[in-house]
Amino acid sequence: MAIHSGATKRQTLAPEDKPKLDELRAKLDDLKSDPGSTLEALYAAQAVFSYVPPEAVTLIAEELGLPESEVFGVLTFYTMFHRKPSAKYVLRVCRDLSCHLSGAPTVLKALNEALGTRVGETTDDGLFETESVSCLGLCDLQPALLVNLEQHGPMSPDDAMKLLEELRGRST
Amino acid sequence: MELVVTRNFGNAESWTLESYRNAGGYQSLQRVLRDMTPEEVSDLVKASGLSGRGGAFFPTGLKWEFVRKDPKTPRYVVVNGDESEPGTYVNRHSLELDPHLMLEGMIIAAFACNAERGYVYIRGEYGLAHERAQTAIQDAYDAGYLGSDIMGKSGFNFDVVFRRGAGAYIVGEETALFNSLEGKRGNPRFKPPFPTNVGVWGLPTAINNVETLSAAPAIIENGADWFQGLGRGDTAGTKMYCLSGHVTKPGVHELPMGITARELIYDHGDGVAGGRQLKGFKPGGASSAPLTPAELDAPLEPKSMGELGTIMGTGGVVVFDDTTDMVDVAYRDALFFEEESCGFCIPCREGTPNLVQICERILHGQGTMDDLDLLDELGTSMMASFCGLGQFAHQPVRGNARRFRADFEAHIRGEPVPPTTS
Repeated sequence: MAIHSGATKRQTLAPEDKPKLDELRAKLDDLKSDPGSTLEALYAAQAVFSYVPPEAVTLIAEELGLPESEVFGVLTFYTMFHRKPSAKYVLRVCRDLSCHLSGAPTVLKALNEALGTRVGETTDDGLFETESVSCLGLCDLQPALLVNLEQHGPMSPDDAMKLLEELRGRST
Repeated sequence: MELVVTRNFGNAESWTLESYRNAGGYQSLQRVLRDMTPEEVSDLVKASGLSGRGGAFFPTGLKWEFVRKDPKTPRYVVVNGDESEPGTYVNRHSLELDPHLMLEGMIIAAFACNAERGYVYIRGEYGLAHERAQTAIQDAYDAGYLGSDIMGKSGFNFDVVFRRGAGAYIVGEETALFNSLEGKRGNPRFKPPFPTNVGVWGLPTAINNVETLSAAPAIIENGADWFQGLGRGDTAGTKMYCLSGHVTKPGVHELPMGITARELIYDHGDGVAGGRQLKGFKPGGASSAPLTPAELDAPLEPKSMGELGTIMGTGGVVVFDDTTDMVDVAYRDALFFEEESCGFCIPCREGTPNLVQICERILHGQGTMDDLDLLDELGTSMMASFCGLGQFAHQPVRGNARRFRADFEAHIRGEPVPPTTS
């Protein structure tokens, strides 16, 4: 069973981000009529805050008429939801068989060394974080990674360095 | 050879409605609505021998008949696009390159099942597939292929909602997928009752893999005998096989069901990468136990793979060259299932980390010969798992330890891993 980093700490909203809860409330209005849209509600929260803070869980529960525990249970079940602020570019490096055989560990290591972070940590500029994830279904691009949902591969450690440069360029 | 599910992949902008129509798209649906009854559709698909391409190989036409015969309404058709089996990426290609083919198959299924509602569920990581499937659904509504009185057929209404996952392999299990669709944790449900009677929202549901539904339009067009004849031996139709690992050309290949691994790896994948020797291969994703070069000529179809003590699975073939440490392979498989176990039942929740620990011990030279027996004992306990994940998780590890025992024993004795075992 997956125990993910940051699972035990509840990262609450910074005071200046509180007004954004109204933005989320507006988005949830569209979902109220669609039964079973809890995952979409959590995605909406993540789009607003870059993660799903406890305040958003409370709001989703109220708006969708669900127990808070159920919403929190859904949040913690799925690995693509973040419970602490996430980087602008989440680099999801596949760690499963085909990518592993074709060099994924060297790609992940090169990224972490270049960023000075460990898996799950965000760089100080808030731009990058790496994740080591289960098969992405990109085995024809082995070793592969996702930048948020954008597909990249096959990757070498050199390609990974070029990708970081390109992403830094994009964000300026 | 004739292609069924990848025939449009080479067309310009193959994912658009215009391109799909130019290639003859939605004509099978038109023929179904004009000339056929729901019974005739499910009988035709039954006669074609089409079976579930997600790896369970349940007869598709029979599934549709079961759903139609259940009196509860509304009935549902659900597309399972939660492909997450390591080494498998065929649904991604279909969804990115030909979402309308899957959608036409889905609407034909809805007619055969007398279903009014549907969901297209795609795993959370497939961003491009989300975009293209959502656009395809919208375009199909605008063109009158979805909604009310479809293509002028009075009383045939079918509405489709798009849903995406958020990272969870277990949701590929059909009942776990229903829970996820309903906005819940993706734990599996008890079977029976089966989805054909009690599926999403407790209603009769035909849940089919993307590849299965994508085969339906061609079956309507060319007939049951044509499809049946595409497979080798007793098998029917084609299968999208995909190659990865130590292979020269990784990629998707639609080939007759029952092709051999030798043909797939050497004729279509150009052999082992770097001109190295083959040590072994997995026939169908992480859940399948690896086979040796001596088994290269066995047909890649469910029955013969079962006879070899492995599974056909998803058709995701992973190739291992002679530098591969098969204990490391077993360890990777174990890590995957440990990560993806939902933790709902004890044999799986506790069994998968134990698999990891045993593999880790052996890999780091701290294992004993007793550990090999312990793997079998643990596997027997894990057969009591609630769903297929736990029931299968130990099989690739045990099958590996049986066929590539020399690698495991070398680690235990502190000797170098031999390049081949056959």
